[in-house]
Amino acid sequence: MVKKSLIALGALLVLFPTAAFAEDPSAATLNMGLNALWILIAGVLVLLMQGGFILLETGSTRMKNAGHVAGKTIFTVGLCSLIYWAVGYGFSFGTEAAAGLNKFIGIGNFFFDPAVAAGEGENYPTTIFFVFQLAFAAVSLSIAWGGFAERAKLSSYLIYTILFSSIIYPVIAHWIWGGGWLAADGAQDYAGSTVVHLTGAMGALAATILLKPRIGKYNKDGSANQIAGHNQVFSALSVLLLWVGWFGFNAGSALAVGDGFFGYVAFNTQLGAAGGAVAALLVSWMFSGKADIPTMLNGALAGLVAITASCAYVEPWAAVVIGLIAGVLVYVSAKFFEKIRVDDPISAMSVHGAAGVWGTLANGLFATKELAAKVNVGQAGLFYGGGGHQLWVQFESVVVCGAYAFAASFILLWIMKQVIGFRVTEEQEIIGLDLSEHGSYGYPEHLKKTGSL
Amino acid sequence: MSSRNRENRHQAIREATDVHALRNIRESEQDRLSAALSSTPVNAALDSLSELHDALINRALELVETELARLGFGAPPVPYAYLLFGSGGRFEQTFSSDQDSGIVFANPETAQEAETYASYFRKFAETAVEFLIELGYPPCEGNVISTNPEWCLPLREWESKLDGWFAEPSWENVRYLLIIADGRAVAGDAGLADVLKNRFFTDMLQSPVIVRRMMENTLRHKVLVGIFGQLLRERYGENAGGLDIKYGAYIPMVNLFRLLAVQAGIRETSTLGRIAALAHEKKLTLVEAEQASSAFTLLLRMRLLTAVKTEGSQWIGSGKIPKKQLTKELTHLLKKALKFGKRMQRRVEREMQDRFGGR
Repeated sequence: MVKKSLIALGALLVLFPTAAFAEDPSAATLNMGLNALWILIAGVLVLLMQGGFILLETGSTRMKNAGHVAGKTIFTVGLCSLIYWAVGYGFSFGTEAAAGLNKFIGIGNFFFDPAVAAGEGENYPTTIFFVFQLAFAAVSLSIAWGGFAERAKLSSYLIYTILFSSIIYPVIAHWIWGGGWLAADGAQDYAGSTVVHLTGAMGALAATILLKPRIGKYNKDGSANQIAGHNQVFSALSVLLLWVGWFGFNAGSALAVGDGFFGYVAFNTQLGAAGGAVAALLVSWMFSGKADIPTMLNGALAGLVAITASCAYVEPWAAVVIGLIAGVLVYVSAKFFEKIRVDDPISAMSVHGAAGVWGTLANGLFATKELAAKVNVGQAGLFYGGGGHQLWVQFESVVVCGAYAFAASFILLWIMKQVIGFRVTEEQEIIGLDLSEHGSYGYPEHLKKTGSL
Repeated sequence: MSSRNRENRHQAIREATDVHALRNIRESEQDRLSAALSSTPVNAALDSLSELHDALINRALELVETELARLGFGAPPVPYAYLLFGSGGRFEQTFSSDQDSGIVFANPETAQEAETYASYFRKFAETAVEFLIELGYPPCEGNVISTNPEWCLPLREWESKLDGWFAEPSWENVRYLLIIADGRAVAGDAGLADVLKNRFFTDMLQSPVIVRRMMENTLRHKVLVGIFGQLLRERYGENAGGLDIKYGAYIPMVNLFRLLAVQAGIRETSTLGRIAALAHEKKLTLVEAEQASSAFTLLLRMRLLTAVKTEGSQWIGSGKIPKKQLTKELTHLLKKALKFGKRMQRRVEREMQDRFGGR
């Protein structure tokens, strides 16, 4: 075996001697290549998070909607890609707007037609940057679907995907990451606790308010019923997929291999997630008497969401604290939303909203001077001698971005509701969206086609 | 309630000639008792309720005998005892208790007799369960009921059944033994039931380890109080915010004192009776017994407050106190009672662990 390989290798060297004797690439090219490789891998990891969302949303909902819930994620990722390519990317990162307008929205690079390779002095090819950014937009969109689950019409998914990928997400991304006015203020959101998670959660909140709770979720007297998801194993697997994908999400946001700083980001990410999982299980155990698995899974995700903003700015102990608090918060928040009669089947508002807000604010408390200088955004937080300034900036960015995402989503969805309707009919909801929207069940052998569910 | 009142009631029950009349009495008496609940001490109310159920069931069984005679089955061929298990056995019925029952009858001498007795009591049980359903007692979901041939047997077979359960203490068999521990005769020859209980306690003495199996059998139901002393309320459904008083407070306490009682050879079946006897036997200190009695009395009162709905012609209890009835004062009292329950539960678990080791 070894002998054969050596002979083959020798033959190849004889046939293609250039490979062995080409001129050495420059240090800059090597650096660019390494960056490109890492960012693309990270982008693919983030795209793979959609697998997590498919399993999370399907596992947390009922069998009769499984095919619809899973399939629509793939469809909307497709549609989101086209819209983001056409206009979304330009609104986020276009550089042709006048300085005044550029504070609020980018212009340029519509129907993005990138250079095929990195140019002189570029740290990575823009193609790869685009793929990476697109994967983020798609994640934010999939978070919003939590508020639509089990009752929205398929057409509303289509329309909201177009609106979200063009004028909701890209505007906020521009404000914080594309050189907009919050970037100028020094808002710290390393990988998108606000940009990606809070934005998606606000879309979910607007949708669930307009859609109203699922049939059977609340009784006449206002008490809630449990509508258990159909597969807890899916949910657990989804968390693992998301957790792994998050290394692309956070560590990839370094956008460079450089001195290996992205390793520190990954390190903090793991601590945050771990803190969230542990705290949520213990808290549900202490307060409800039973260690609740869905709460623990949400806790892990909440830890990840929270550490997303702060992973590059804080010390390891703070990452643990941020995760632990996120785990507690997700339990309290889920109870709160249930109490105010907001039906949130997959806890999108608690996991991505509440934890997203917490993670962003946490920067204002725990960011260190050295790390803020290293990332070169903002300054130290309250506990590290920075005073209240950074906390205020963080607070401002949460409020403004949250308000924009909610208002834009609410208004657009409200108009859509008036014009074409938002929710399926009662009969369709009872039969299940698999049948009403697609004509076949995700689990055909488990469910009869009679609609007598 | 005045004894005069009670006399009148019993008179009426004795004179009822069909189940329909009995049902009318049950309805009006339950309404009366329920209305008087707030002004009567709970022990007295429960005693009245228990007496009412006993009197109704007794009269219903007399009507069964008459009915069987009318149908040509004759009088009972031998003495028998109609057994109540569960809350009936413990004198702790609510307004909506179900039927947990069995029959023990005197031993036949020949195969012929065995056949005759068995067929009479099978018919008897069928009619009895039917009459009691008409009277508003739903049948036992767990099939512990006299129409189940396994629970309608001559004394000898009952005894060998008990021996078998002790010899092979599987989860199911231990559950049966726990049911027997609460059994008593409601009608017929109480002596037969006594013989059966004698056997139970003799067997207990011979296999003390069974106590541990009994404990394991009942650990599933925990007292619903959290580590901060908070009540663990219902999270979902019609009773959200309420408390599952039946399985989260009452049943765990019943299990606890039953365990201590059978271990000490105490024959009382009512929980309060068991607590008093345990104190008498010095198995509980006077202070503990005092706390236990007042905690359990509270739970009994709460249990009468649980949501009852009528389903068809049956009274069905949810076993849960609705949120709106959990006033601040009541919550405070319940927390105190449940914390005591939890402490006792822990203590007994630990004692068993020390005595028989962990698993």
